[in-house]
Amino acid sequence: MLLFLFGAESRAAEPRRVLMLHAFNYTFPATTLIADSARKRLLERSPQPLEIDADFLDLARNTDAEYESRIAMFLRTKYEKRPPDLVITLGSAALPFIVRHREAIAPNAPVVFTAVSAQSYGALQLPSNITGIISEFNLDKTLALAERLQPEASRLFVIAGSGEADRRWQSAARKTIEAHQRKFEVTYLFERSFANLVEEVSKIPRDSIVMLLTVFADSEGNAFVPAHVAGSLSAISPAPLYAPYDTYIGNGSVGGFVETFESVGVRAADMALQILAGKDPATIAPQTNPGQAYRVDHRAMARWKLQESKLPPDTAVLFKEPTIWSEHRGAVVGAILIVALQSLIVGALLVQRRRRLRAESLLKESEERMTFAAAAANIGLWQFDQHRNELWATEHCRAMFGIARDAPLTRDTFLSAVHPDDLQTATQALKRSLETEQPAISDVRIVLPGGEVRWIRMRARSYQEDNGESEQGGGIFIDVTDQKSAEAETALQRVEIEHLMRVSVLGELSGSIAHEINQPLTAILSNAQAALHLLAQNSPDLAEVRDALEDIVHEDNRAGEVIHRLRSLLKKGERKTEYVNINDLVRSTVSLLHSELIGRDISLRLDLDHAPFLTRGDSVQLQQVLLNLVMNAMDAMASTPIAQRSILISTSGPQAGMVDVLVRDRGHGIHPKANGRLFEPFYTTKNHGLGLGLTLCSTIIQAHQGRLTLVNDERGGAIAKFSLPVQQPTLHAA
Amino acid sequence: MTDEFTVYLVDDDPGVLKGLSRLLRARRYEVKAYSSPRVFLDEHDMAVPGCAVLDVSMPGLDGLEIQRVLTAASGYHRPVVFVTGKGDIPTSVRAMKAGAIDFLTKPVKDKDLFEAISHAEARDAESRQLHSEMKSIQAKVSNLTPREREVFTHVVAGRLNKQIAGDLGTVEKTIKVHRSRMMEKLGIRTVADLVRMAGKLNLSR
Repeated sequence: MLLFLFGAESRAAEPRRVLMLHAFNYTFPATTLIADSARKRLLERSPQPLEIDADFLDLARNTDAEYESRIAMFLRTKYEKRPPDLVITLGSAALPFIVRHREAIAPNAPVVFTAVSAQSYGALQLPSNITGIISEFNLDKTLALAERLQPEASRLFVIAGSGEADRRWQSAARKTIEAHQRKFEVTYLFERSFANLVEEVSKIPRDSIVMLLTVFADSEGNAFVPAHVAGSLSAISPAPLYAPYDTYIGNGSVGGFVETFESVGVRAADMALQILAGKDPATIAPQTNPGQAYRVDHRAMARWKLQESKLPPDTAVLFKEPTIWSEHRGAVVGAILIVALQSLIVGALLVQRRRRLRAESLLKESEERMTFAAAAANIGLWQFDQHRNELWATEHCRAMFGIARDAPLTRDTFLSAVHPDDLQTATQALKRSLETEQPAISDVRIVLPGGEVRWIRMRARSYQEDNGESEQGGGIFIDVTDQKSAEAETALQRVEIEHLMRVSVLGELSGSIAHEINQPLTAILSNAQAALHLLAQNSPDLAEVRDALEDIVHEDNRAGEVIHRLRSLLKKGERKTEYVNINDLVRSTVSLLHSELIGRDISLRLDLDHAPFLTRGDSVQLQQVLLNLVMNAMDAMASTPIAQRSILISTSGPQAGMVDVLVRDRGHGIHPKANGRLFEPFYTTKNHGLGLGLTLCSTIIQAHQGRLTLVNDERGGAIAKFSLPVQQPTLHAA
Repeated sequence: MTDEFTVYLVDDDPGVLKGLSRLLRARRYEVKAYSSPRVFLDEHDMAVPGCAVLDVSMPGLDGLEIQRVLTAASGYHRPVVFVTGKGDIPTSVRAMKAGAIDFLTKPVKDKDLFEAISHAEARDAESRQLHSEMKSIQAKVSNLTPREREVFTHVVAGRLNKQIAGDLGTVEKTIKVHRSRMMEKLGIRTVADLVRMAGKLNLSR
């Protein structure tokens, strides 16, 4: 007993979940009306808290099986954690859908269906815990209404579209009309394109009856909302248009014998409430058309000059303007005025209140949504009031900054989490955010209580107050640690690859470079031995010995320079920024290639501009680029006749602040197939190439704000050109 | 023009050129240094005794090509010593086959260089002597009449006077006269000397 009580209590505390499954999308008035009234009724009458969800299956527009399984999968995932306790379906297609997928989406949940035709209901073998409202759209009685209003009409036009539901109507309509007592001259406007339908309807004679069923789709496959079609067609129809649908009333149709969708919603909600209260759904029999009645639109009647007196008794006349005016004008006018005025005020107040409530709820909803979305995206939202030195931030910011649950969210709490080295950046960013309307972005490190360091990107901007002063700044925090570590890793890999490429280029050149060192060594040895021989003589020529020693020093320096150049190329290091003299760079690079060029019988000419161009960058990397380009030029000339093998390196400029460095060869040039792919990583035309040389060169030059291009020389061979911005050191006045 | 033994040094690297010439001068050699192979070939005088010390790899014209040009220019072999930074086997084989004295790798040890040069000096003296000898022989041969020359070739070929007379359509006596005149003009007494001289002539051809 006690256990049961606890059970009941815990059940009561947990809200019951109702899922409304719409067959269509939200633009279909019929199902939307049912859903709205059902929702309203449920919330009004339920003794326990309810959580009402809705999903739009949109099955009319998406008919493939794959779509159905996808949406079923989606819903299964969506409601996996919190399965619905009850499902209300809206529209006939939603019922077979939930019957097929109920075990996945809402296991064992009872289902209340709505807007299902008797025919569809009969065709379904429904489990016992499914019940609901069967809607029969009564064409016969609607036709009877039209007969009463237009007794002399002899022609009948029946309209239905080409959708699945439309086609069901087509056969049902033929049967009903054939069985109908009075015989008409009938024209069936089925399976037409919408344009054709419009044309046909506009030509209908005035004294005919137009019966609009449904147009979910036209013969060209365009999808429609039937109630909207009713609006379009009734606007152009010369003859009165009737329909067995409540939603068409107000959209131009005269009316018919219709079920009001609101009443369907209310009945369905009542069934749902009984089931939620514990009643066995098997004991609740499905109901058919609980609220059907004759309903007409007074304005449509007036438009087609139909007489109200001919209406069947108990007909609900909607949109009727009061006629009391004409009878008791004098006596009532004052009262009406007051009433009108009052209602106007009341109405205005109501409208305002509704608007405000709506705005409030929208705001709340939007805020909740935003906070949720931000937290899901690992983004913290914040606002800072300078005047009050107050910081507002979403709860998620606590997690990001590792701030304890009970600690206040103030400016200082946040700043205390910031890495000491970045504190200045953070405070300045906050300050700047208040000074400028431009969004400011800065990345700072924060230290979590466990010692973990994370990168947070602060995006901030200020809000101008009415008086033009900005006292409020705000923005977002994004955790960019992963991005930063990926960036760092990429940079590391880039350094690694650049280094490897340099090593491999130098490896190719090793023989030649050894020769460059061997030459001064030879000179040194010869001079030293000469000196020894001189000293061994009886009266040594000391001046000559001195010269020899000086030459030794000079040659030693020369060897040292080669080694220095090599060492800097072989060293793995961060990118440096210094002033680089481009002509010196060319000369120093070429000096490493001296004997390689001789070995390959290539003559190299320099045509360097007299002006000493300076650029800012990393000389080792720029040297690597030049080395690579010259090596490429040399490789390109392997099959060029020896007499024609030549490379010209020239510098010129500055043009538009850029200095150009050209490496021109007389080789095979760039193959048209390779053009455009040369800078792609791992693309190579060489047998021994890795395909990274030019990619790297291009990356390096771009990092120096320059540009690398490769074109064919019309005189044969290729021209590699890179341009770098000229940057003269600024001289500070003392 | 001195007749002193001269070392012609050709290397495109000015530092090496300077060092090597200083070393050789310290050893009292007459040195002519060239950084350009072309200039060297233009200024080079075969009449001056000496040897060439050539760098193998130079832009334009490498050492082996210079060696070829030197040999082609005259019948006389100028002794060549190669120095190289990259002493690869195929190049050294080619150089030695073309008659190089030595093939030294840089940095060059003074002992090796001096040894190679003294070797070259001896070779040069030898070939120079041979050359002058040849010149005097050629001068003597050029004094012979066509008939005497014919007799000369026949004698060297080992034919007897009688046979020669038959070949040339004359009598033995006439041949004897030609033969003694020919020997006299050439300053030779025995057939063995004549054969040796013919051998030398052939060599130089």
